[in-house]
Amino acid sequence: MVTDDGKSKLGFLPTGSTLHKISALLTLILLIVAFSFTSPAFLSVNNGLTVLLQTSVIGLLAIGMTMVIITGGIDLSVGSVLALSGVVAGLIIKAGVPVAPAMALGILAGATCGFVNGIVITKMRITPFVATLGMMMIARGIALQLTGAAPISRLGNAFGLLGNGSFFRIVEMQDNGFPKVVFAGIPYPAVLLIVMAALGAFLLQKRQIGRHIFSVGSNEEAARLSGVNVDRTKIWAYTASGALAGLAGMVLMSRLVTVQPNEGVMYELDAIAASVIGGASLMGGVGSISGSMIGSFIIGVLRNGLNMAGTSAFIQQIIIGIVVIGAVYIDQLRNRK
Amino acid sequence: MLDAAPPDTPLIQMLDIDKQFGGVHAVRAVSVDLYPGEVVGVLGHNGAGKSCLMRMLSGAMTLSGGQINVNGEQVDLKTPQDAKRYGIETIYQTLALANHLDAAANLFLGRELKTRFGNLDETRMYAEAKDALHQLNPNFKNLKDPVSKLSGGQRQVIAIARAIYFQAKVLIMDEPTAALGPSETAMVADLTIRLKNEGIGIFLISHDMHDVFDLCDRVIVMNKGRNVGAFRIEDVNKDDILSLIIRGTLPDEWTPRGQSA
Ligand SMILES: Nc1ncnc2c1ncn2[C@@H]1O[C@H](COP(=O)(O)OP(=O)(O)OP(=O)(O)O)[C@@H](O)[C@H]1O
Ligand SMILES: [Mg+2]
Repeated sequence: MVTDDGKSKLGFLPTGSTLHKISALLTLILLIVAFSFTSPAFLSVNNGLTVLLQTSVIGLLAIGMTMVIITGGIDLSVGSVLALSGVVAGLIIKAGVPVAPAMALGILAGATCGFVNGIVITKMRITPFVATLGMMMIARGIALQLTGAAPISRLGNAFGLLGNGSFFRIVEMQDNGFPKVVFAGIPYPAVLLIVMAALGAFLLQKRQIGRHIFSVGSNEEAARLSGVNVDRTKIWAYTASGALAGLAGMVLMSRLVTVQPNEGVMYELDAIAASVIGGASLMGGVGSISGSMIGSFIIGVLRNGLNMAGTSAFIQQIIIGIVVIGAVYIDQLRNRK
Repeated sequence: MLDAAPPDTPLIQMLDIDKQFGGVHAVRAVSVDLYPGEVVGVLGHNGAGKSCLMRMLSGAMTLSGGQINVNGEQVDLKTPQDAKRYGIETIYQTLALANHLDAAANLFLGRELKTRFGNLDETRMYAEAKDALHQLNPNFKNLKDPVSKLSGGQRQVIAIARAIYFQAKVLIMDEPTAALGPSETAMVADLTIRLKNEGIGIFLISHDMHDVFDLCDRVIVMNKGRNVGAFRIEDVNKDDILSLIIRGTLPDEWTPRGQSA
């Protein structure tokens, strides 16, 4: 199938994918300007940090989602896998294991779910939609079963560090004895997001696995005939998506300092929307991490701004739903050309 | 032309090859061999089973029955990588290009060049691809465009360049000039002769009788999945071949042409 991402005949104009990214970036700026009018508190440093924190979870999911989407697949299980990873880490901490190894095992649990997705898709030849929908039910079910649907709390201060700590935080003691925050610092989750996004972009652009991911999504049969190990490439992408969902789970649960087996419902839709808004094509073969990061911020800002403007949760759902459909519609328009 | 007796072991022996898709019997008990420095034409009408036969040798398709020998030893070509390991390279009828990638990425797909840190060596792949493509078409530009943007002929040139870049011992060309203009077609004919002289064995699938008689040393003709004739090219003429392709039999009064001449 011939797709056209709209490369201009005029060399000085940006190519299709760059154009898409620029328009997404403009949308983001427009949203920020609009929301700063509707609610004065929107443009504060504190709220900026809140958005950054909220976006870091969507962003981490979107990195893995983008890789999967570029292979021509989809991962509907990330929201549930996020919860299961948190539950695994929480239970292991409760069993007396220190936070760091427990979190590593939580991420490993996420990676395992992704690996199973990959195996089911490649070896059992189940479509990604159905396979990951199944995993969405299974992972959520395990998370709820293991905890009896109850949150796990009192996990200790160390558990809250990843989600609540920050670099370069400056706090002064005031004369009245109360501390005053001079600079709120750069939150760990934001730094983590930047590091993982850079790593993801590096793997996609500079490494063989990235090249193979694009080739599989572009023309699976051609990739196979050229000697690309298609199954291995897909399994790699789903495993990465699962591991990143696990990592996102650690960030989210750490921020709440509680493990909630009910967390992350519908997060997969935010991640898919972020990827597609950022220019990834559900037909496969097209997408970028930088685009998906812009997409993540659009979703994050949209949710936060609607909250600040006092929009009800129901209306928010309606708006995000329309945005998702709109983004996929634009994706199809691009492919039809 | 007096040619020496072919060396004893053929490069490729395909023995009693069968391929079935459910009820469809695409290839039936076909045997064919290929010696170094030889061009063997595989002819037949559309759907005769030519591509299927060749895809089994490329490792792109599994056998339903039969045996493949490379240099006299039985091999099991499960994947295209297996075939490439034996030096069997293929120009697929479908070209097998990833549309979103550029020429260099396609040429090296699955066999990327890497820097010493294991990163993709884009500079070297680009330079090598440029060289390889310019050998076939000195005017080849658009090296950095996704191949979906290229013309059919340019795409075919990439597929050909890819097959010859990796020093094939056996080259399978499945209608390699279908989309090419006259000068590129001539270039591919020259290339075929050059590779043949280097001792490479070539299977050529073509519907172009002119090419077949110019390039092939031997031909086999397939009809409805069967091998209905294998000849030295001197022993047949165009009418014989057409009769075999269309009816599956030789003209009634046929005798080997080479001997009577
Ligand atoms: N993957 C497949 N599944 C089912 N049937 C197939 C498949 N590939 C080929 N066939 C059938 O096998 C038969 C032979 O096909 P093949 O592609 O080998 O023909 P061909 O001789 O190469 O024809 P052409 O000259 O048109 O390329 C056809 O009837 C085709 O429909
Ligand atoms: Mg064919």
